[in-house]
Amino acid sequence: MVSTPLLEAAELISRERVAPGFWCLGFRSPEIARRARPAHYVAIDLPGTFSVRLPLGIWTARDDTFTLLFREWGERTTRLACIADHEPLSIIGPLGNEFSLPDTGKRAVIVAGGIGVVPFWLLVRELLAAKVRTTVVLGARSKHMLVGVDELRALGAEVKICTDDGSAGTRATALDLARELAPPDIFYGCGPPPLLRALSDHANAAGIPCQISMEETFGCSMGTCWGCVVPIRRGSPHAVGYPRASNEKREYDFARVCVDGTVFWSEEILWNR
Amino acid sequence: MEPVIGAALEDALDLSVELGALRLRNPIIAASGCYNRGAEFGRIMDVAAYGAVTLKSVTREPRLGNEMPRLLSTPGGLLNAIGLQGPGIAYFLEHEAPKLPAVPTAVIASVAGFSVDEFAEVAARMDGIPGIVAIELDVSCPNVDAEGACFAEDPASTAAVVEAVKARVTKVPVIAKLTPNVSDIKPVARAAEAAGADALSLINSLRGMSVDVDRARPWLANRSGGLTGPAIRPVGVYHVWEAATAVKIPIIGMGGIETGRDALEYLMAGATAISIGTANFRDPLAPLHVGETIAAELRKRSFTRVSSLTGTANPDFAGARA
Repeated sequence: MVSTPLLEAAELISRERVAPGFWCLGFRSPEIARRARPAHYVAIDLPGTFSVRLPLGIWTARDDTFTLLFREWGERTTRLACIADHEPLSIIGPLGNEFSLPDTGKRAVIVAGGIGVVPFWLLVRELLAAKVRTTVVLGARSKHMLVGVDELRALGAEVKICTDDGSAGTRATALDLARELAPPDIFYGCGPPPLLRALSDHANAAGIPCQISMEETFGCSMGTCWGCVVPIRRGSPHAVGYPRASNEKREYDFARVCVDGTVFWSEEILWNR
Repeated sequence: MEPVIGAALEDALDLSVELGALRLRNPIIAASGCYNRGAEFGRIMDVAAYGAVTLKSVTREPRLGNEMPRLLSTPGGLLNAIGLQGPGIAYFLEHEAPKLPAVPTAVIASVAGFSVDEFAEVAARMDGIPGIVAIELDVSCPNVDAEGACFAEDPASTAAVVEAVKARVTKVPVIAKLTPNVSDIKPVARAAEAAGADALSLINSLRGMSVDVDRARPWLANRSGGLTGPAIRPVGVYHVWEAATAVKIPIIGMGGIETGRDALEYLMAGATAISIGTANFRDPLAPLHVGETIAAELRKRSFTRVSSLTGTANPDFAGARA
């Protein structure tokens, strides 16, 4: 389902440096907080010199407030981390489609890498409310890059952690840990492409439904510019379904991550084209 | 905001502009590829803020477009290489065209082609479609019949496209959208005018490239792309100024317009109307802000019509201000 976005000025009300280079910013916006569904994101206009809006996934949403958890990564995220307190920022949101939920009593395993944890606070809250048995497997390069664990545990989720260097939890990848669990009814994934690709391969081979929240460089964040596409299988649920030129040799379609996603089924995504 | 000089003048303020036979209720147009018919941005703003919207360019055949990455944010701009992804003219006519009469403002169609024939055929099939008030030709495409040279870099190729289209499009004005990737735009502008273009749009994106130094390869899958956004505005203002000294037909100025003052630069350099493109990706309300600033400028100068601003900074302005 596509979101119903708003364009509004949201006041920055909290800022926390949760780890070196990782920030959690809170914004007051009762309507965006109320409308936020799992995997939704917002597009932020940064004051100063021109840049296109910065898209960031919504982390938590409670009462009249939502938070954004992000890594300083490039010029725009650095600018966002330095925004003055109480500054109203022009924000469009919520945007994007959302994760779909399994039936009550089913089992879900969430596989997240690093900052890929972001879409899962809202999802875990929904899954637990729907009485879906949920395990989160969260991996990062090292303990300094492991964020969001406490908040997910506070929701009541079982969270297993691992790091590439063994500095926190098991020395393993998130997928290694997920494989050791009993096969769930559905996987959810977000994180670095190699992890998502391996998770997709695993889920597809096991015949387990798997939803992936994708990331790409966005232009308009609204679906109009066609800049943020990913290759997906022709005829899959998120395919555009346009006709094709007779001389088109590529066998796939492109879908826009910003409005057709960010969530795609693992079977739709063509990692190896 | 400047003081309003009497309510009578306020009432007399006329933001409408004429592009040949085409009259728009205000001079602010959404640029091709950045807004389409407003279905997406219309979720958060009023599409009627625009005097017209320009559709994404349509080609004869469907096009899947370029591989990704297609975009890179650059200082003050955006580098893109989308590759004209689109469904082609047949699908457009069947599925998109029926939605156009419901768009709450004027709709300008955009045609892209890789040969003179393709431009003429696609434009002819757009002519007379309900809701389409003008056809813009994206002549910045490579010409496959001339070893991939860009039509708009060559006066004769530009004229050939415009002439072929004008021979078949009889119901609506034809606008030639020119490229800034030339050392002198005047010969191209004159060629388009002589071939019968009713108006010019300039500028299209500026060719550019960025290299990912960590991976030692171009950022964009297409290697090069088109640079848009405020970074290119001085280039656009310059080309509009130059073209306005060379032709009498109206010019739609574009390239990096973000604010009302940016729009005024283009108008005073010689544009009759302006387009907003990439700025939508920051501020979808830009057309409202631009309109307010233009209105304030008219009041300040005791003008009642936008066209009174056109070319006021340009002593060699050759066009008509009426």
